[in-house]
Amino acid sequence: MEPEPLDGGSPSHNATDTASSSSAAGLTASQRRAEIRRRKLLMNSEERINRIMGFHRPKGGDDESHSESKLQLESDKPSPLPAPVSKRVVLGDTVCSLAGTADHAGSIGEYKGERKDTFNKPPEAGSDGTGELRQRSRGDLLEAPQRAPRHGLDQYLSRFDEAMKLRNQLMSEKPSQENGNAVEEFDSFRIFRLVGCALLAIGVRAFVCKYLSIFAPFLTLQLAYMGLSKYFPKSEKKTKTTVLTAALLLSGIPAEVISRSMDTYSKMGDVFTDLCVYFFTFIFCHELLLFFGSEVP
Amino acid sequence: MDDLPVKTEHVTVGGAWLLVLSSVFLCNLLKILLPSCSSVISRLLQKDAEQEFQMRSEIQNMKQELSTISMMDEFARYARLERKINKMTDKLKTHVKTRTAQLAKIKWVINIVFYILQAALMISLIWKYYSEPVTVLPDKWLAPLERLVAFPTGVAGGVGITCWLVVCNKVVAIMLHPFS
Repeated sequence: MEPEPLDGGSPSHNATDTASSSSAAGLTASQRRAEIRRRKLLMNSEERINRIMGFHRPKGGDDESHSESKLQLESDKPSPLPAPVSKRVVLGDTVCSLAGTADHAGSIGEYKGERKDTFNKPPEAGSDGTGELRQRSRGDLLEAPQRAPRHGLDQYLSRFDEAMKLRNQLMSEKPSQENGNAVEEFDSFRIFRLVGCALLAIGVRAFVCKYLSIFAPFLTLQLAYMGLSKYFPKSEKKTKTTVLTAALLLSGIPAEVISRSMDTYSKMGDVFTDLCVYFFTFIFCHELLLFFGSEVP
Repeated sequence: MDDLPVKTEHVTVGGAWLLVLSSVFLCNLLKILLPSCSSVISRLLQKDAEQEFQMRSEIQNMKQELSTISMMDEFARYARLERKINKMTDKLKTHVKTRTAQLAKIKWVINIVFYILQAALMISLIWKYYSEPVTVLPDKWLAPLERLVAFPTGVAGGVGITCWLVVCNKVVAIMLHPFS
């Protein structure tokens, strides 16, 4: 089903309505019957989905919503094949470009195709990914409350759509991730970091710790790494598309924000790993020195 | 003056850090070796493999025999042998299915037992070193995180079991990563 535009009915929408109704007038009796049957089928599917999603409409407003859905079905009719909608989901360094219903592959593509039949989007609907979703959610608040469930459903479905895209992306990424996992874990900068931390710990245990807290040199080293990271070749770190990212995306958080927070999170993880290696090496050296009795703290 | 109590404390907990480290290392090593270990154990537990091998060779022999028989000349014999092969193949299939299910069950049980043992070991280590640190450093060295590092012992300058377990797990995971 096509979601209504923000202002409740754009001129183009009205124009399509009038055009379709005029074309309906020119139909023969059998064509009209076929059309009625088609609408009935579409409405049934819509009701089924509403029931699944838990949207119950009040009985009183049934006629209104019925006519509304009719109107929408009318507007669906002139464009059986939706115009290609280009969406770009930016997640980490990977950019997932999806072009409407036309170039979706695999089972997800099939699923989308099925869904698009009943929930067609206007061409302008998908032009701006999640940002558009937010706009629409704001538009929902302004609109009449009886339309809210419909918009909620549309919103949910578009988010679901994005989650499916993410899943698709994950499926396509999986083999390459598995292959390049070791490379990703132990790229040159990572090895450099770990070795640097271990060496610093030895140095600190030998010379510095008597005068200074052991965490001070470590923090200095981390600052140095931040500066040095520019000079190391950046490994193509693909963002792991997890259930968490999918859930965040479904809750309406833009993909860019998610990717940034994931980046920060991974950097924190790196620092934590460095700290562990540093602390372990320090304690190990300390215990060795104590064991051989060369030094007593 | 300040270093004297530290030294005495250290003598009481000597080697605890190594005990925790070796436990963590063993656990991680076993986790890596678990698939091969479980397959060896399941092979030892399942003695039907020989019977299965026998059935396979029997089927192979019968098939060879079948290829020597002319279907036109000795149809009855051919059909009888073919039926026999089919019966044996069905039997083998059921056998393999049962064995595979049993194998999966054994592997699952081994995994569960391993994780339970690991959890028990970790809990017992935490229990043992809950109030005493695994090693002690002069508290000035660990400032300003001495309380965090000493948790849950509360000993100034001590390295608590939680902190040491986390550190050991991380380091051992890095060390064993090329083998996993």
